[in-house]
Amino acid sequence: MSRGRIFGAAALALAALTLGCAGPAAHPRTDARVVIYAEPSSLSLVGNPDNNSAQIASMISDGLVAYDARGNFAPMVAASWDVAPDALTITFHLRDGVRWQDGTPVTSRDVAFTLSKVRDPAVQSRSWVSLFADVTGLETPDDRTLIVHYSKPYADALDAWRVPLLPEHLASKDSDFLNGAFAHHPVGCGPFRFVSHEPGQNVILEAFDGYWQGRPSIDRLVVRIVTSDRTGYESLLLGDVDLMAVPSDLWRESLSSHRAVRLARFVYYRLMLWKIDWNQDGSNPFFTDPRVRRALIFALDRKRFAATVVNGLARPAAGSYLPESAWTDPSIAPIPFDAAEAGRLLDEAGWHLPAPGSVRVKDGKPLAFTMLLVAGSQEIADRIAAWMQESVRAVGVDMRIEKLEWRAFQERRKTHRFEAAMASNVVDPTPDQFDLYHSSARNGGFNYGGFSDPETDRLLEAGRMTIDPAARRAVYWKLQARLHELEPMSVLFQFSQPVLHDPDLLGVTASPVGLFSFTPGPRAWHWAGATPSR
Amino acid sequence: MTAAARRLVTAAVTLVLVTLIVFALLVALPGDASGDDETARRLPDEYRAALRAQYHLDDPLAIRYARWIGDVARGDIGASLREHRPVAAILRERLPASLALNGAALAVVIMIATPLGIGAAWKPGSSLDRAGLAATTALYAVPVFWMALLLQWLFAVRLGWLPLFGIEGDERAGGSLARTADIFRHLVLPVTCLSYGSLAYVSRFVRTALVDAAAGDGGRPARARGATALRYVTVHGTRQAAVPLLTLAGFLIPRLVGGSLLVEEIFNVPGLGSLLFDSVLGRDVPVVLALTLLSGTVTLAAITGADLLAAWADPRVRHGR
Repeated sequence: MSRGRIFGAAALALAALTLGCAGPAAHPRTDARVVIYAEPSSLSLVGNPDNNSAQIASMISDGLVAYDARGNFAPMVAASWDVAPDALTITFHLRDGVRWQDGTPVTSRDVAFTLSKVRDPAVQSRSWVSLFADVTGLETPDDRTLIVHYSKPYADALDAWRVPLLPEHLASKDSDFLNGAFAHHPVGCGPFRFVSHEPGQNVILEAFDGYWQGRPSIDRLVVRIVTSDRTGYESLLLGDVDLMAVPSDLWRESLSSHRAVRLARFVYYRLMLWKIDWNQDGSNPFFTDPRVRRALIFALDRKRFAATVVNGLARPAAGSYLPESAWTDPSIAPIPFDAAEAGRLLDEAGWHLPAPGSVRVKDGKPLAFTMLLVAGSQEIADRIAAWMQESVRAVGVDMRIEKLEWRAFQERRKTHRFEAAMASNVVDPTPDQFDLYHSSARNGGFNYGGFSDPETDRLLEAGRMTIDPAARRAVYWKLQARLHELEPMSVLFQFSQPVLHDPDLLGVTASPVGLFSFTPGPRAWHWAGATPSR
Repeated sequence: MTAAARRLVTAAVTLVLVTLIVFALLVALPGDASGDDETARRLPDEYRAALRAQYHLDDPLAIRYARWIGDVARGDIGASLREHRPVAAILRERLPASLALNGAALAVVIMIATPLGIGAAWKPGSSLDRAGLAATTALYAVPVFWMALLLQWLFAVRLGWLPLFGIEGDERAGGSLARTADIFRHLVLPVTCLSYGSLAYVSRFVRTALVDAAAGDGGRPARARGATALRYVTVHGTRQAAVPLLTLAGFLIPRLVGGSLLVEEIFNVPGLGSLLFDSVLGRDVPVVLALTLLSGTVTLAAITGADLLAAWADPRVRHGR
């Protein structure tokens, strides 16, 4: 937008503040307008990605593989692949007829180029680079074949190849990749091509006629950047937006609002969980004992909280392996509410109640700890903490609450200066949770509490190396049983994500990773009366 | 050294001190911009080290600040640690919206508050004076977020006259006149929210300046010569009140580049307020320093300019009497 135009508008605003104007023009029922809550950090497809830019990138360019609606790998630009018996080599066979949005064919050299960009620190490809850590070399014997060599077997090696591909002939021209021409006008091989970006306002994409799966049915995907969820919700009600994931308070409101009656709605479970890290490095006398950790969870009536406080938009979790995953042992149930069992475990661990209604004591020390929370971002954290405080008080435990701004909170967790800390956490559909539980993940990983158990370490390492799916599932079922017994961290809830959309926008489905970054995603969206894919 | 030169040197030193304090506060906060967030996967150690080196996060603080001030002296305000692009490019995107919004709000305030102040000063204590005071004070007491939601509900939801948010519609087709009208429609509600709260302050300031001037040395002779009440307030009073009014302008002009986080968030305006907020939370030191430098420069320039103009308008100020 030019400065002159804005000044002109400002001058007009002064001249006629009270002038009434016509309402917005009716929009063509061929576009889909969706909301994201923050500016994408980069449009360069792989550079400096946050969640928003990753979602947009997944619309512009495909990877060799993608998650399907269940979180399994589906073939995309790679039609098939062979894994060598030693699992140190994977050979990808690229699909015929896949073209970049400028008409040039996609080749294996483009894939090799993409990896070279991801590995360049100047590209800041932080969420992709670690997935390629074990890749030692690539070969491109012909345009359709890519051979990848690994330093060690990794059962989730395919995960990295979801990376959106870059066209070498266009993306190699910029010396400063993040600020060059390509980053401002990305070209991919995905279902939608980039049209325009107004910073702070929107990103507009349009259907790619030459898409290898066939042109998407919706003509344009308008991604509105709306920082206030209330504002986004109101524009959904006004018909200025067609689809939006809403927070639980707006969902509740929409259930009783006559203006929201016409909207279609559904909820789905994302791979997002609320977990508590218990610091068990010996700096406090409480949480090195698994009985104390388990007792605190027995003290919580999670079913009641989920049903009443959050209107059923959450469910108690058994652990960090969620029921959506094919790797989860369905026989492991969440720890039930049982205050008597909580008391028994605490007694057994040596924390005794001196008098009814008092705080438990062991060796003269009271069972009193501080729970760290992230301030401001989500009021649900306050509600969970207040409920938990009251629940553990009933079994003689004194929990105090300390709230910190996100980076300060994260600094305390990473340097292990806390007793307990609660935050939400996103997990991947892949079953490898090495960085959550392995003893080596205390520094640099997400094992903030410093949990250390040789059997867990062994199972985590075996899970990474076991390629056969049945054998691998057996490893992860054993791991889940071990984690359930030791409760190294406590996953309280899995929250569901409500979605509201125009009832005429059909084909909208969700996956455990959201509404966009999976196949089919928006490729299958279509307006009532239009064909699903042209 | 002349008085004016002394003022300029003081302003420059103040500016450096302000950025130094902001820098020190930012680096004293826990956490940095090295890219840890909820969904980031564990980074390879050598890659993490390369990132930190790229942005000099491990250098001594004095060197980091000295490097920044040296770059600024050469006209380079650095690159954002979060967005990895030049801060100047980010400001170029954000500044127009803030200037348009705040400029329009400032103009609305002056155009409404000045006549209110003159009217009040015309007959101090009259019913006009008291009604103006009551109305503007009542507006001053209304919280902005509440007013914003009320206006959105009324004009966007109920009546459908104005857009709910944004500074421009999605459609780029149409001539520049249509586009200008579109931007204007988007600006009405946020400008209203940004301006109503200042009416009380500015109109009272104008009134007090005029009343004081009228009571002073210039007022009585004018009245003695038979000037009407209105004429003495508008012509003689304004001339006498030039110094306090210039001071007021010195305080109002910096608002042009100041952000209003609440209004920007509610109306989804990509301005400087939300940029500052996000940059502090993200520990994006170069962006926060650039915004400090920008608002500091405009503030000092406006105040210094107002002082110099006041000295020119009133010899007593010039000669320090």
